[in-house]
Formats: sequence, structure tokens, C-alpha cells
Amino acid sequence: MSLLTVQGLKKTYTTRFSSNKTQALKNVNFTLERGEYAAIMGESGSGKTTLLNLIAALDRPTSGKIILDGRSIAEITDKELAQFRRDNLGFVFQDFNLLDTFSVEDNILLPLVLSSRSYDEMSKRLAPVAHELGIAEILKKYPYEISGGQKQRAAVARALITNPSVILADEPTGALDSRSTDELLELFSKINRSGQTILMVTHSVKAASRSGRVLFIKDGEVFHQLYKGEMTDEQFYMKISDTLTLLATGGERR
Amino acid sequence: MKRTVFAKMAFVGIERNRRLYLPYIFSCIGTVAMAYIVQYISVSPAISQLKGGNTLAAALSMCKLVILVFSLIFLFYTNSFLSRRRNREYGLYSILGVDKKGLIRIAAWESLTVSAISIIGGTVLGAALSKLAELGLIRLIHTQADYSVPVSAGCIGYTALEFAVIFALLYIASVIRICRCNTLELMKSEQTGEKPPKASALLAVAGAVILAGAYFIAVSVKNPISTLFMFFIAVLMVIAATYLLFISGSVFLCRILVKNKSYYYKKNHFVSVSSMAYRMKRNGAGLAGICILSTMVLVMIGSSSSLFFGAEESIKSRYPYDNEINVYIPALEQIEDNKTDEIKQVYEKIIRENAAEAKNVSEFTYCKISGLDSADGKIQLDPGESFSVLSYDRLRTFYFLTQDEYNRCTGERISLSAGEAAVSTLHCKFNAPVLEIGEMKLKIKEKCGEFTALGEANSNVVPSVVVVVPDYDTVKPLEKLTYGENERMLEIQWHYAYDLDESDELTAAIYEQQLDCLEKIDFINSDGISYNSGCRTKERADFYITFGGLFFIGIILSVLFILAQVLIIYYKQITEGYEDRARFAILQKVGMTKDDIKKSINSQVLTVFFAPLIMAGIHFAFAFSPIWKILQLFNLNDLKLVVLVSLAAFAVFGLCYTGIYRLTAKAYYKIVSE
Repeated sequence: MSLLTVQGLKKTYTTRFSSNKTQALKNVNFTLERGEYAAIMGESGSGKTTLLNLIAALDRPTSGKIILDGRSIAEITDKELAQFRRDNLGFVFQDFNLLDTFSVEDNILLPLVLSSRSYDEMSKRLAPVAHELGIAEILKKYPYEISGGQKQRAAVARALITNPSVILADEPTGALDSRSTDELLELFSKINRSGQTILMVTHSVKAASRSGRVLFIKDGEVFHQLYKGEMTDEQFYMKISDTLTLLATGGERR
Repeated sequence: MKRTVFAKMAFVGIERNRRLYLPYIFSCIGTVAMAYIVQYISVSPAISQLKGGNTLAAALSMCKLVILVFSLIFLFYTNSFLSRRRNREYGLYSILGVDKKGLIRIAAWESLTVSAISIIGGTVLGAALSKLAELGLIRLIHTQADYSVPVSAGCIGYTALEFAVIFALLYIASVIRICRCNTLELMKSEQTGEKPPKASALLAVAGAVILAGAYFIAVSVKNPISTLFMFFIAVLMVIAATYLLFISGSVFLCRILVKNKSYYYKKNHFVSVSSMAYRMKRNGAGLAGICILSTMVLVMIGSSSSLFFGAEESIKSRYPYDNEINVYIPALEQIEDNKTDEIKQVYEKIIRENAAEAKNVSEFTYCKISGLDSADGKIQLDPGESFSVLSYDRLRTFYFLTQDEYNRCTGERISLSAGEAAVSTLHCKFNAPVLEIGEMKLKIKEKCGEFTALGEANSNVVPSVVVVVPDYDTVKPLEKLTYGENERMLEIQWHYAYDLDESDELTAAIYEQQLDCLEKIDFINSDGISYNSGCRTKERADFYITFGGLFFIGIILSVLFILAQVLIIYYKQITEGYEDRARFAILQKVGMTKDDIKKSINSQVLTVFFAPLIMAGIHFAFAFSPIWKILQLFNLNDLKLVVLVSLAAFAVFGLCYTGIYRLTAKAYYKIVSE
């Protein structure tokens, strides 16, 4: 059974001051297998972020179904949502979203603290994650004292520490320089190889080319998808590039 | 064309940032209005024509100066907050091609607009309220007056000029800021604005130690006169300690909590403690400022209203009887001459002529001498050079009464043999077994009841000891003592006082007639015989013009300080609102429920908000002892009244403060939930 199933997902926004309706998502269908590393691409305003917010249960769909690990997100009550999010989802954001009020260590432990785990358990979990992500040295520092790449690694650590079913990454390389981007993508590949499911929204062809599958969204629908298969990163990169060009110039679906 | 563009940019900037500008402009209007009102009253003929009015006018001028200096500091503070936000826009303009000259012009238009609105609005508001304030003051000082100009052009001119200077200074400051920064720095100025100060344990401990020291001084100082000096020192220490504690102490406390892992890593404590530390770090200085302003308001209102509400008490203590006269007698042997009988007869005759009757007549003769007390009862007279501020603590006035006089006045039955004495004290203790002044040595036989008939002793700053002696011969050795060549240390006075059950007018009239006749008696003002006198009804005006005036100034300055607090708190809430909004969003994504976040933020906001009030309350409580001692300088001896008034002052201020919280919290929640 698939880890994540999205069926006929539709989201319509009504602005506060007018009756005009904006359709962000029209009809989205796809599935994500356990251990998969998928990227979602599309132009600005294509509904990528809306899709991610719906999967993250930060927003409710107008209609359609999202099933994660056999459980429909729509059935989860508001009270359980926060707990659900902590247990099943790990987030990585473009702007890191670390809290300046916490040290790096505390930022990473935040979801565990919210789940009322004991400090012993927390530190046991923290050590390997911090080691793997190469941030063991900066645990006591504060977010404003470290570089962008380090911040993003800390954010990844925060996402990983709960052993989530899926990691949702929203433009994770968007605010990083090219070296940090390479490091982060290498990291994502590494954790994916160890069995972690990742769903990433991105603009970057380079980031997408490291994933196993790319979904293209246009006008609120999944327009096309590409599998990496046996391709190298470079070959996949070319393929994605071509597809994007086709999408942008209004080419027909192949 | 270009000129109007700059003007327009300035107006648009103000309009767009009205959430920040409106409160600023309102408080400018408020301060201008207050300065105008105080200026107006200080030159008002209704005040200066009163007896003692000039002193009040001078005090009001001082008050005006305080308002100006305070406005300058406080407007600089808030303006720096505003300009941080505005500089970002200047940076944007600069990127779009406006050169520094242009920016300075925009700033000029902006400053001109704000100052014009403030000065015009302020003087209009001031003019509207000045009559009311004047009537209020006249009520407070218990007089009537209704002749004065409604609006004073001179005052408007002065106030406008003074604030024009203040606004010009603010403008110059922003020009300097614009000139010093390049485009990018301007853009970033909002983020770099406040660097959180590093909290150190050492500073926290220093703060606690200084505060403890200040409190100790406040509680342990005994004498009102040295209190004034020490009180000032303690105030400076409290201010320093408050800043240290709010900036470092609170963060230090949070850090201790963070170190305690089993406490810190709990769902309920984790977010609260860490954001608390962060908040305190950023707002420590602001909170300390609020705390000190609050304490100032409490102390001012507490003490000035105590004085005002205790005025009647003070008057009664200084003038226990309706009318009184004290006649100086040059030597002990002249007491027997009974010349004073003549005065008494004149007085009684006048009372009879007015168809009135003297009641509670108090008549006695006493001697007094001053010196420094020491524990063994040896009194040091005329210390000359060696006398210093610190010896004030030991200064005493000794009042000698013969046992006949004392027994007659109090109805007690004290019986002393030669060389014996009985003592009672006022505002001090006397526990030595003997009393030794010059060549006079007395054995203290007993303590006797308090002697309150003497207003002068009641109201004297110097604590007094009433010594009952067998006869006048006992104090004979003191007559030889002189200051310098021939000024005698021992003063001998005949005291005569009485009550009349008549109207204030008649009581005053009788008093005046008596003085007229007194002047005609041949031995008065000759042979070293002189007198002083007092009529409670007539003196009352003096008390009220002092106490009412002080109360008025206390209210005016409190309003000013509260206004400043409103603004500081408002800006604090707004900045925190913007910061918390981002934090709110992150926490929610990481998996915290909305309710939990709200609860946590609520408790933090409340703690941060009420910490200064609680601290101010503690400061005020410790300031009570020295304040009480200073109030005693003003003849206020009713402890219960002062405690009640102080508690009431704290309650009223607490209500105001809560009101400010309610008002500003709205702005905060609006931002957070946007």
C-alpha cells in the first residue's frame, strides 16, 4: 500500500473582501510509495505550496482526499492535528523557520518536548542525528550565530528527530548558496537511501534532478511526471529542463 | 514640482505608518498641552496675587522645566523608534534615486508636519483645559479667584517656541542619522536596531546587591534631615539596580531554569522560559524604564496626596489652638515680674468685647535649649566647627517646664525634689539615667506623659525632649551659657493660647485686634521682650497653598509620566506583536496547537507587563519609610492616613496601568492574529 495517496484534491480560496474565487488546486491525484524521494515542480502560483500545506494539514481541502499511512487526514480532529503533525510529518522550509529564542539543540528538540518525551530519550535521539548532519559542534549556538547552510541542516535535524513517515520540504535550497545547496542535496540523498520518504517542492532543476521522481503541476493539476530510473543526475537534469521548457512554451503533453 | 513631491512623500509616509505615528503625535500634543497649562498657571494673576503665590509660581516654573527636559528625553526615545522604521523607507527612496538632500527634505517635511500638528493641537488642547486646571488648583489650595485671562498669547508663544526647539533637535538628530548611513544601512536599520545586551551573572548579582543596599539604607535611616541626602543616594542606587536586574537579572534567572533540564524540557515550560529570556533580553531596558517611571508616579502621588489629605492634621499639630502668642522673656528672674499678665488682660478684654469666650486656655512659661544628645545623657552644646550633617541625627531641643506648670497643664501629679527631673520625648528616645547640660546635672526620676500643647515643638524638625524640673532655679546654670559674646543659649518664653468657638472671620478679627493692642504696650519690643504669634485660620491658607500646590504638581507630572509609559508600552507591544507573529507561525508548523501557543504567549505578555508594576510596588514599599520621615518634616504625623493614601495611590495607579495594558494588548493581538 502507498504511504501517501492524494485523490481528487481541490482547493478554492475566497478572498475576504470580494466574492471572487481563486482556484489554487483543481484536481490533484498522485501516490507516494514508502522510501520514495519525489519532487514537485511548477511555476509560481501553480499551487505547489498549497498542495504542501494541505498534506501538512495546515489547511483543509475544499474537496478530495489525502490518505497518509492508511489514515485520512480529513478525519483527524483539530485537537489531534498538532500531535499528528509531530508524529508523522517532518518539515524543512525555505527560510529554515528556526526560532531565535532557542539554541540549535533546543530547536531540534522542540517537537520531542512538545510530545512530552523525557530528556534522556531526547539526548539519545539527538546524538546520532546531529552527528549524521554534521552539526554536533554548533548545538549550543543560536540560529543568528550560524550560517544558512548550518541553519538548514539544523532544520533537517528537527524534521528527522521524530522519525516521521514523510519529510515535507518546501524549497529547501531556496535560501542557500551553491555549496550549501550541494551539501543539503547530498544529505537528502543520504537520508533517503537509509529509507526516509521525502516529498520536496522546488523551483530548482538541480534539486529536482537528485530525486527519484518529479511531478509537474500546472494550473492546479498534475500535468506530467518523470521517473529517474537508471538515469544519472545529469541526464535527469536535462530531461527535467526540457520538460520545463515545454511546459513554459505551452507544448503538448508527451 | 519637486518640492511638492517631497512633501507628498512625507505625508504618505506618515499616513502609511499611522499605527506608529498617531500615538506619537497624540503624546506630543499631550506634552505640549501640559507645558502650556503649567506655564499659563505659573504666570496667572490668580496665583501670583495670593499670599505665598510667588513661591507656588516658582515651583510651577520648576515643574515646567521638568516637563521640558523630560519631553526632550522621552521624545528622543520614541523618535528613535519611529525613525528606525522610517529609515527603511528612506533606504528604498534612496535606491529609487532620491539623493541625501532629497531625503533630508522629506524628513524636514515630515518633522514640520508632526511638529505643526503637535504644537497647534497641543496649545489648543492646553487652552481648552487650562481654565479647568486653574480652577482645579484653586480648589486644591482652598482659595477663590475668578479674574484671569482665558487664553494667554504670551504663553502660547513661549510653549510653541520651546517645543519648536525640541522638534528642531529631533530633526537634526534624524538628519545626522540619514547622513551617516548609506542606502543599505538605512534599509537594514529596522533589523539591526536593538542588539540584545549580553546578560551576565555578575551584573545580575551586582543589581541584587545594590538593590538590597538601597533598601537597607531606605529602611535604616532614622533622621529626616539626613534622610533627604541618603534618600537621594538610595534613589540613584534603585535606578541602577532596576536596570541591572531587568536587563541581566531576569535573563540570569531564566538561564538557571534552562540549566535545570528536567524542568526546562517540559512542554509547558520549554517555549515559555526560552521566549521569556529572549523577551527580557530585548526589553529589559524598556521594562526598567517603565518600572522607574511607575515608582516615580507612586512616590509623587503617594507623598503629595498624603500631604494634601493630611493638611488639616498638620495644621492642628503646628497650631493646637485657634490663636497663640509666645513672648520672649530676657532673663529667668523677670518671669516673676508678671509683665505677661498685662498682655493676658488685654487679650481677654478684646475677646470679651467681641462677645466671644476663650476655651481650652493654655498658659505656661518654658525655657528651651538645643544640643547634641549622646547615649550617656551628656549634652554637647554649641559644637561649632565639628557640627556636620551626620550630627543632625543627635540634635535635640530641650524644653524645660517647672513641675507646677507641667502639673497644671496636664493634670498630672509629678513631685520632684531638687536635682531630679522627669522627661517625655517627641520623635526621639531619651534613655540615659542622667541629663547633663553645662553645669546643670539632673537625675532622671521618671518618664512622664507626652506634652502636646506646644505647637512649635510638635512641628519642629528637630526632635524634642520635654524636661520637667522642680523650679526655675534648677535651670539657672544654663543662663550663663552664650553663643559667641552675648547671645544667650537659653530661651525663655511665655506661651499663651486658646480656642474660640467662633467663625473663622471673627477668630481672625480678634487675633488682629489683639496684635494691634499688643503693639501699643510699652515694654513690647523693648528691654529684650519680643513675641511671635499665630492664628490657625490665617495660617491655614499657607499650608494649603504649599500642600495643594505640591499635590497639583504631583498630578501634572504623574499624568506626564503615565503618558510616557503608555507610549513606551504601546511601542513595545507592537514590536513584540510583529516578532511573535512569525514565531506563532513557526510553532504551529512544528506541531504546537493554537491554544497552547495562545496560552503561552498570554502568560508571557502578562508576566512581562506586570513585572514592572510589581517591582515598582516593592520599590514603593521600601521607599515608604523615608517618605514617611520626610512627610514628618511637614508636620504630618498621621501614619494611618499616609498608609491608607499610599495604598489608595497604588490601587489607582494599578488600575491605570491595567487600563493601559488592556488598551495596548488590543493592538498586540490584532497584529499577532493578522
